[in-house]
Amino acid sequence: MSHATPRPGTFLVVDDSALHHQMYRLIFAKGPLAGSTVYHAMNGREGYALLAAHPELTLVLLDLNMPQMNGLELLTRRQAEGLHPHVPVVLVTTESTPEDEARGRAAGAWDYLRKPFQPSDVERLVARLQAERAPAA
Amino acid sequence: MPRSANLPAAAGAPSMFEFADQVAAGDAAAAAPAPVRQLHLITFRLDGEEFGLPVETVREVIRVGDITRVPQAPPHIRGVTNLRGRILPVVEIRTRLGLAPLVPRSTARIIVAEVRGRVLGLLVDSVAQVQKLPADRLVPAPDEIKSAHTTYLTGVIHLNDRLIILLDLALALDLPGASPS
Amino acid sequence: MSDDHAFAELIRDYIAECLPLAEAVSDAFLRLERRWRDGDTHADDATGLKGTLHTLKGNSAMMGLAPMQLVAHLLEDLSARVLADPAARNETTAALLVEGSSLLVDLVQSAADPAAHAGAADEYAARVRLHLGATLGATAAPLRLERRNSERRDAGADARGTIRVDFRRLDTMLEIFGEAMIERSALLEVHRRLAARYGNGSEIADLDRVVSSLGATMKQLETALMQTRLLPIATVFGRFGRAVRDLARDEQKQVRLVTEGDETLLDKTILDRLGEPLVHLLSNAIVHGVEPEAERVAAGKPAEATVWLRATALADRVEITVTDDGRGLDCERILAKAQALGLDVPSTDSDAVHALIFVPGFSTADRVSHVAGRGVGLEAAAAAIHALGGGIEVGSERGRGTTFALSLPLTLAIVRSLIVEVDRERYAVPLSHVAETVRLEAGTLHEINRRGVAMWRGSAIHVADGGQLLGTGATRTAPRNYFVVLFAGPRRRGVLVDRLVGHQDVVVKGLDPTLGRPAVVSGATILGDGRVACILDAAGIVALREVA
Repeated sequence: MSHATPRPGTFLVVDDSALHHQMYRLIFAKGPLAGSTVYHAMNGREGYALLAAHPELTLVLLDLNMPQMNGLELLTRRQAEGLHPHVPVVLVTTESTPEDEARGRAAGAWDYLRKPFQPSDVERLVARLQAERAPAA
Repeated sequence: MPRSANLPAAAGAPSMFEFADQVAAGDAAAAAPAPVRQLHLITFRLDGEEFGLPVETVREVIRVGDITRVPQAPPHIRGVTNLRGRILPVVEIRTRLGLAPLVPRSTARIIVAEVRGRVLGLLVDSVAQVQKLPADRLVPAPDEIKSAHTTYLTGVIHLNDRLIILLDLALALDLPGASPS
Repeated sequence: MSDDHAFAELIRDYIAECLPLAEAVSDAFLRLERRWRDGDTHADDATGLKGTLHTLKGNSAMMGLAPMQLVAHLLEDLSARVLADPAARNETTAALLVEGSSLLVDLVQSAADPAAHAGAADEYAARVRLHLGATLGATAAPLRLERRNSERRDAGADARGTIRVDFRRLDTMLEIFGEAMIERSALLEVHRRLAARYGNGSEIADLDRVVSSLGATMKQLETALMQTRLLPIATVFGRFGRAVRDLARDEQKQVRLVTEGDETLLDKTILDRLGEPLVHLLSNAIVHGVEPEAERVAAGKPAEATVWLRATALADRVEITVTDDGRGLDCERILAKAQALGLDVPSTDSDAVHALIFVPGFSTADRVSHVAGRGVGLEAAAAAIHALGGGIEVGSERGRGTTFALSLPLTLAIVRSLIVEVDRERYAVPLSHVAETVRLEAGTLHEINRRGVAMWRGSAIHVADGGQLLGTGATRTAPRNYFVVLFAGPRRRGVLVDRLVGHQDVVVKGLDPTLGRPAVVSGATILGDGRVACILDAAGIVALREVA
């Protein structure tokens, strides 16, 4: 099944792993997503601040498991404060049950991305997002 | 490169490694140089002879300042000098080619060259100019110039009445420091 | 980008992130094994490790590193079993946890080399599955691990507001600082000339104040810069738990390692080179120092021996001691061996005799162990410590134990040096290796067998002429004025020089490989006047056999 080609955009990655940030850098630097602007946050607090500063974000990739403020807490706070509700957030997680997913979506997650993921998973996600949000042709 | 045969991957989708390889390969392909039709050289003099070095190997040319001798350094090393805080080895290319050491005059210069990842200074009598020379004028070194040093004299170019001897710096510096016959 | 550039970058990040995690897990399981052996079988540690193992598994999976992913997964399974089932908290499980976590450390460390440890993960997996299958009859439902918001990393680095910096950037900063030091010296020189020409006008006084203030600020900057390069010695100590355990097992002895002062800070350049000599000393303690169990018990000692590894920070150096409660050094055997080898024995007091064990070729061991060798380790350890500009001494009490005391400078990067002049050439001599500088009086020097000798503090030391030693090529006209007594360990040698120019903090730069590997020079630096000066290698000089 082919998927539409994603276009470059503006992204925010929130993850406490430097390794993952390095991988995201590669993913957004080449291929169809080349030319994207990417902001990097190492924890939930930084992530929240960057989200607040960039209403133009195409997508936020939010790691679930982080110390201090985890992904779910960030989403919950965003929802409570009504911060940029139009910016889609994808929760990046290793495993989750249907109950976990329901909780995430209830807090405002647009979708889930399972680890380990391939670059094509991210591309597909962005393509699907852009197709959904595109104005009617 | 490790490949994870056990891990499921989306059909045809590259793993993170393969992706990284592709990124690297793409960069390399984009950077492949077009064929060279002109030799871009910097020429310098040693004992009246004119030599040429590819300009890509040369970072800069500086005047000769204080050169500190390094005890027990290999014989063709004149010493080290301070290049904006970097300690630069200075090679006495003359002795390397079998000539007497340089008595520095005001025209002497140090050519700062990068060869095989190393940055070195070459002490020369004078530096002439940077010029582009047609590659098809390059001929193998004639017998008069050939000696023990043939391997790193990669050829000569006749230009009007000038004879420019091309030097392969990497080879020249890797030769053991034997004195020529 | 070169072919392997992207791959190498990722692997570097992977190792940088996962190696500390894997080591933390390994340490935790070692502690857990010891506690279980002591009879305390609660398993709370395993809870804290779940998150770390999870991260290790996830990161390895992202990178497609199947062996690491597999081992982390197995450790998770074992941990889950241990949490759920008290009956599983036994020696076999503990050994599997220790082995697996240690394998994981090895795998992560060699992540760039897929051929390393090939098959080890699968082999370990087979044994774990067997064990898990054997201790549980029926297949149990897999434990669902509650994910909490608790610290996922034992290191907690991000919580403290630390950032990760490539150490090369710190080296660059230090180089730039070095250039600033040179500029400041040049400024001082110009100031001096201005003051000489224009006397003490008010502008000169202002300049004076500014230059002083600049000096103070730069001193502060230097301190701050050096601080960034400091790492806790725990990064080195942490690796030894497993080494001690394995070595003890090989020797069929029970040994436990106690560390103190783990938070002591050392410059990374020294830490990187400290591991090897410490391993030699620990091996020596376990192989030669600690007696076999039966002998210990007969002597009224506990069957399990203890080795202490302690670090203490002092104002200008760090002291590290390696102590064992073993049999201590046997002076008689050492003396006998020394005499058999024809070695010089300066005196028979115990300190001097003990120091003989560092002499090359010396060993009272009757057998070779694969790590401790024939006492080559002690000589190598001493050489490594001296190369770092430090010192090593040994103290011992027969029947009670032995202590090795290491003294290390705080950094290798900036070294306080004596600048000397020989035949108009200037050299820097690290003060840590200068015992004394002596003005040469008539009659101090003698020649014995065509080698210069001088009496210094009651002993005869060999003296070399600086010009000949350094090959200046000048013909001697007047006698030299000073001799500088260099030392490295117990050895001393005098070097004749013309002038003592002064003391200076020099930023050490390594020798470019093009310059070969001179025995007498260990590096170079740029002096205040912008000229390059070679830094003399004291250890190299005192070790030279023949100086014409």
